[in-house]
Amino acid sequence: MKSSINGWMIFSFVFIILIILPNISIILQFFHESNDNWAHIKEYMLNTYIMNSSLLVLVVGLLTAIIGSSLAWLISAYDFPLRGFFQWGMILPLAIPPYIGAYTYHGILNYTGVIQTTLRNQFDVTVNQQFFNIMNMPGAIFIFVICLYPYVFTITKAFLARQSTSLIENARLLGSGSWRIYFKIVLPIARASIVAGVSLVILEVLNDYGVVKYFGIQTFTTAIFQTWFGFGDLNSAIKLSGSLMFIILGLLLLERLLRGRKRFSFTTTKVKLLQPIALKGRKKWLAFGYCMFIFAIAFIIPFIQLMAWAVLTYNQLFSQEFLTIIRNTVFVAFVAATVITIMAVVISNFSRLHRGLMAKLFPKVTILGYSIPGAVIAVGIVTLVTGIDAKIYQWGWVSSYILSTSIFMLVFAYIIRYLAVAYNSVDAGFERIGTKFTEASRMLGNNVTQSFFKVDIKMIRGAIFSGFILAFIDILKELPLTLILRPFNFETLATNAFTYATNEMIHEAAIPSILIIIISAVSIYVFHYVLERV
Amino acid sequence: MFIQIRDLHFKYPNASDFTIDAFNLTINKGDITTILGESGSGKSSLLRLIAGLEIPTKGTFMVGDDCMCSPSKFVQPEKRDIGMVFQDYALFPHMTVEENIMFGLVKWSRKEKKERLKDVLELIDLNGYEKRYPYELSGGQQQRVALARALAPNPKLLLFDEPFSNLDADLQIRIREELRTILKTTGVTSIFVTHDQEDAQAIADRIVILRKGKITATGTPDEIFNTDCDITKRLPIKPRVLSRL
Repeated sequence: MKSSINGWMIFSFVFIILIILPNISIILQFFHESNDNWAHIKEYMLNTYIMNSSLLVLVVGLLTAIIGSSLAWLISAYDFPLRGFFQWGMILPLAIPPYIGAYTYHGILNYTGVIQTTLRNQFDVTVNQQFFNIMNMPGAIFIFVICLYPYVFTITKAFLARQSTSLIENARLLGSGSWRIYFKIVLPIARASIVAGVSLVILEVLNDYGVVKYFGIQTFTTAIFQTWFGFGDLNSAIKLSGSLMFIILGLLLLERLLRGRKRFSFTTTKVKLLQPIALKGRKKWLAFGYCMFIFAIAFIIPFIQLMAWAVLTYNQLFSQEFLTIIRNTVFVAFVAATVITIMAVVISNFSRLHRGLMAKLFPKVTILGYSIPGAVIAVGIVTLVTGIDAKIYQWGWVSSYILSTSIFMLVFAYIIRYLAVAYNSVDAGFERIGTKFTEASRMLGNNVTQSFFKVDIKMIRGAIFSGFILAFIDILKELPLTLILRPFNFETLATNAFTYATNEMIHEAAIPSILIIIISAVSIYVFHYVLERV
Repeated sequence: MFIQIRDLHFKYPNASDFTIDAFNLTINKGDITTILGESGSGKSSLLRLIAGLEIPTKGTFMVGDDCMCSPSKFVQPEKRDIGMVFQDYALFPHMTVEENIMFGLVKWSRKEKKERLKDVLELIDLNGYEKRYPYELSGGQQQRVALARALAPNPKLLLFDEPFSNLDADLQIRIREELRTILKTTGVTSIFVTHDQEDAQAIADRIVILRKGKITATGTPDEIFNTDCDITKRLPIKPRVLSRL
């Protein structure tokens, strides 16, 4: 179905331009003449950034691929104690943002932490600090792996449940054992989903600021912060951001190649779930032990530790200051998520009802924002918005820089980064209903907009709501963008927790952290447990 | 002639051949025309072009005195006064039978709407089903509601996209006879698209055979299915009469 220019097209076009502008602003300035700082950075530091970022990406990518896919296979194909719980429980670590995981584990393991204190006081054992120091590269890798493996797990498990039943059952009938099936069937056919999951993990690692900053590891993100705020050198920060953007574009191309031409997706829409085989004896407890071990280190241990700290500082919960922080966080997340959802619906509805280049290109641009690290988006937005602000100021409409001193910049940045999250959800909803209901409504005398409000929106409101919630949760946890772009004195739960942690007031960081985790965990429960059953 | 389609061409973007190639057709008011073709013959695209859901590359299309599309004009589907019964009915799942049927009566008064609802429900023999939701109906009933919904706004032309393909054989025979009676009672002009010769034979006043976007034969069911007739040799599918011999 198509028509000439209409409101949906115009709005989509405007939204897409808004998303692209900050990125273009970086690319343009990337080619500007550089200053002495940049020469210095290039000569002495850039290599370290590239080495550290690559090492993190490679090792974390590999380990999450192994852990995520093996858990997905185990839980899809076998029955063992607590399997029903693990199906969604293994996703729970996603509720703990890596920066919270980082300072929690540091708090557990350091000299005054629970392990060393117990050893000293109860058993009179003093340990070599070297073995308990987590604030280094292996430590950062450990934190990323336990916090991010659920991306691979969820996508691979969904794929195994949806697509592979007949193949796996056939392999079983042909007499293949479980290891053989895993390596010969599951890994090859699930390759595309494992790669998709790992690329999400990699994007998160490159986006991260909290963990690497806290552990003192020099990566691209910390470097952008440092050159910008440490040296006050926006020019070099832009150069770093541009370099990182090109690296990410390269990675996205690599992902395309790795996924290959074959998507291994079948045309059948019938979902036939794999019948899990009940494990017996030693194997049963081995499978249970593996899942429980991962779940314990990724969720139970840090959560219990945070709860223990929260008990010490619960008074903080009732302070006026903290209530303001909660109000700020909810307000800004609500506003941004609402705008994001509306934009996602408009762009998605436009591209599904139209053919042609724009309709094909817009979804791709929408999703691109999610691949760009927060620090880079922040650089792009600041350069763009201060430019616009200066113009407005020149015209004499306002007495100060109105956009760059308000939450406008922050909301704008959230939109660019998290539009993809809501878009994917809304788009999946539209895809499920197809275009026939819209067409039927148009044949009955309603135009596209009337059809949207009378028919489409009512049929995909679940998907729209999911999109909103997912964006809301992500914004709630967001750190790097918020740190850079928040207005003066504007704190969110995430910045509050992080500031406490970096000031070594780790007990005080517990309450905001717990709040973030609980809100995220409840939404994960609702999405993966309740919604999957309906 | 009530319906006039002249020199209609249509090509999907990136396709090398025309999906509809120089298509010409005229239809008398009140006639039931069936477009018979194999899958991929372009019959569904043709129906979507007539509905206005696709924009033709070239050609004109008139309903009565109204031009629906020409090189200089394109009327949006919602402005065409054309009704359509979709292959899988596309009944709005979140609306009751009553709401579905009244959906197209946009500018009608409340009273008019109620009266029209009563009339069409009578026509399709589903009185008492107003408050049911589509999923509470059988396949045949859903089909009739879809017909009633398309008929309710009194369209000038009614389109059917493989309307029987989701029904089992018994029901199919009963419903298509019923449908012919209903259409003849209301006197609405209609176009059917199907790949099933028996459907075409049972329901049509005139049959058009479409192959690779071009008409290969037209005529009354008798003319088309008369085995001695020359046209039969150009049928996409051999007539069942022949295969039984």
